[in-house]
Amino acid sequence: MHMIKIEGISKEFKENIGAKKIKALDDLTLEVQKGEVFGFLGPNGAGKSTAIKILVNLIRPDKGKASIMDRDVGDTGVRKHIGYLPENPYFYDYLTAEELLWFGGKTTGLSSTAIQKSTDELLRKVNLLGARKRQLRSYSKGMVQRAGLALSLIHDPDVAILDEPMSGLDPLGRKMVGDIILELKSRGKTIFFSSHILTDIERFCDRVGIIVAGRLILVDRLDNILIGNTRLEDVFLGAVEKAGGGMEI
Amino acid sequence: MTTLWPIALITFKEGVRNRALYGITLLALLLLVANFLISGMIMQEVGKVAVDIALSAVSLSGLLLVLFVGINLMAKDLDRKTIYMVLSRPISRSQYIVGKFLGMVLLIIITMFFLSMFAMLSIQLIKMTHPDYFPRFSWPMILLALSFSTLSLILLSALTFLFASLTSTSFITLVLTVIAYIIGQSLSDVKALVETPQTVGIQVSSVTVKVVQIAYYLFPNLSIFDIKMQAAHALPLSLSYIFWTVLYGLVYTSLALTGAAVIFRRREFP
Repeated sequence: MHMIKIEGISKEFKENIGAKKIKALDDLTLEVQKGEVFGFLGPNGAGKSTAIKILVNLIRPDKGKASIMDRDVGDTGVRKHIGYLPENPYFYDYLTAEELLWFGGKTTGLSSTAIQKSTDELLRKVNLLGARKRQLRSYSKGMVQRAGLALSLIHDPDVAILDEPMSGLDPLGRKMVGDIILELKSRGKTIFFSSHILTDIERFCDRVGIIVAGRLILVDRLDNILIGNTRLEDVFLGAVEKAGGGMEI
Repeated sequence: MTTLWPIALITFKEGVRNRALYGITLLALLLLVANFLISGMIMQEVGKVAVDIALSAVSLSGLLLVLFVGINLMAKDLDRKTIYMVLSRPISRSQYIVGKFLGMVLLIIITMFFLSMFAMLSIQLIKMTHPDYFPRFSWPMILLALSFSTLSLILLSALTFLFASLTSTSFITLVLTVIAYIIGQSLSDVKALVETPQTVGIQVSSVTVKVVQIAYYLFPNLSIFDIKMQAAHALPLSLSYIFWTVLYGLVYTSLALTGAAVIFRRREFP
C-alpha cells in the first residue's frame, strides 16, 4: 500500500478574472511509502503548497489523481488518517488551545477521555500546557504554529502532511518540531513535509523531492544524493538552475 | 451529528466571545432604558409606543448580530483561511455549511432569548408604572413578534451563507446581505405599488412590473415576519398566517442553505 500516491497531477490557476492561466503543477508524480519521511523542496511559488492542498482536498487537480492509503483524496473518510498543518496556520481567535484540540479530536471520532489524554500529552510536547486555557488571539506566531502542530496530531494520524512546519519558530521550537518528527518516524508514521530549511531536510528525511515551476525535477533517497562531501544546498541550487530558475527573491 | 456538533459548538463559542456581541447587547439595553424614559415623556398611547420601541430594539440588535458577528463567522473562515483546519478534518463541505449554520442559529436563538427577556422586562416596568395606557395588551402577540423576528434573522443568516459561498471577501457578503435585507423589507410594498399604480396616480411599465414580480419571488419577503404593529395594538393573527409564515421562513432558509452547500462543494481554497 502506498501511503501517498500522486499520479500525473497538473493544476492551473488564474490570478484574476481575465488574467492568463499560470501552471502551478505540471504532471507531478510521486509516491511515499509507509514509515518514510519525505522532504518536499522547492523555491517560493514552485507548487509545494498546491500539491499539499490537493492531498488534503482543498483544491482539485485539473488532471491526474491523488490518493492516500490507496483511497482517493476526495473521500472524506480518508482524512481520519491525515494530520495536516497548513503553512502559516490561522485558527479561531476566541478559542483556547484546549478547545481547538477538542474540535480536532471530536471531528475525527475520538472519545472525550481519549481527547483529554492526547491533549495533555501533545500540549506538553509542544510546550503549550501552561497556555492551554488562553485564547489563541493572545498567542505569538510561534505558539500558533505549535498549537497547529498539536491539532494535526491529536488523532494520531498515519500520515502527517506538514507545510513548512518550522516556519516562524525559534531554534527551540524547531528542535521541538524535529523531535516530534523523529518520534513519529520511530512509530512507523509517514511524514510528508515541505521546508525551506535545508538542514532540517538533511536531518530528518529519508527521501527528498525537488519541485521547480510545478515540475518535479528530482526525487531520490537522501543517502544517494549526499555522496561524499556533497551538500543538499548545492544539489538544490544546481537542480533549480538546471530546471531554468523559478526562484522568487 | 457527531461531526456537526463540534463545528456548531466552536462556531457558537467564537461568536459568543466576539466583543461585537457585547456592544450589540449594550446598545439593546440602552434602547430599552430609553424606552422607559421615552414612554414616561409622551403620555399618550404609551402602551403601543413601549411595545413598538422594545420590539424594534430587539430586531435592530438582532440584525446587527447577523451583519457584524454572523457574517464574520463564515466569511472570515475564507478570508483568513481558518477553513483549512476545518476542511482538512474528515468533514464534508456540506457538513461544514450545516454545522456552521447550526452554530449561528444557536447564537441567534440564545442572544434573542436574552434580548427578548430584557425587552419584556422593559414593557412590564412601563406597564406597571402606566397601567391606564395598556387597555389592549397581549403577551402572546409580543412573544410571537419576537419569535418571528428570530426566524427572520435565521433566514437572513442562511442568506449570508449563500452569499459567502459565492464571494471571497466578508465585505462583499456584508454588502449583498444589506441589499437583500433592504429589498426583502420593502419588496412587498413595492410590488403592491407597481401592480396597482392607478391608486397613487402613476404609470408603471410592464417590464418594471415583471422585474419587481421576479424580484418578489427571488428575494425573501422579510416584511411578513414584521408583526410589530399587530403586537403593539394587540391585534390577533390568524393561525394560517402564522403557519404559512413559519413554513415560508423554514423553506427559504433550507433553500438558501442547500444553495450554499451546492456552491461550496465546487469551491477550491487555494
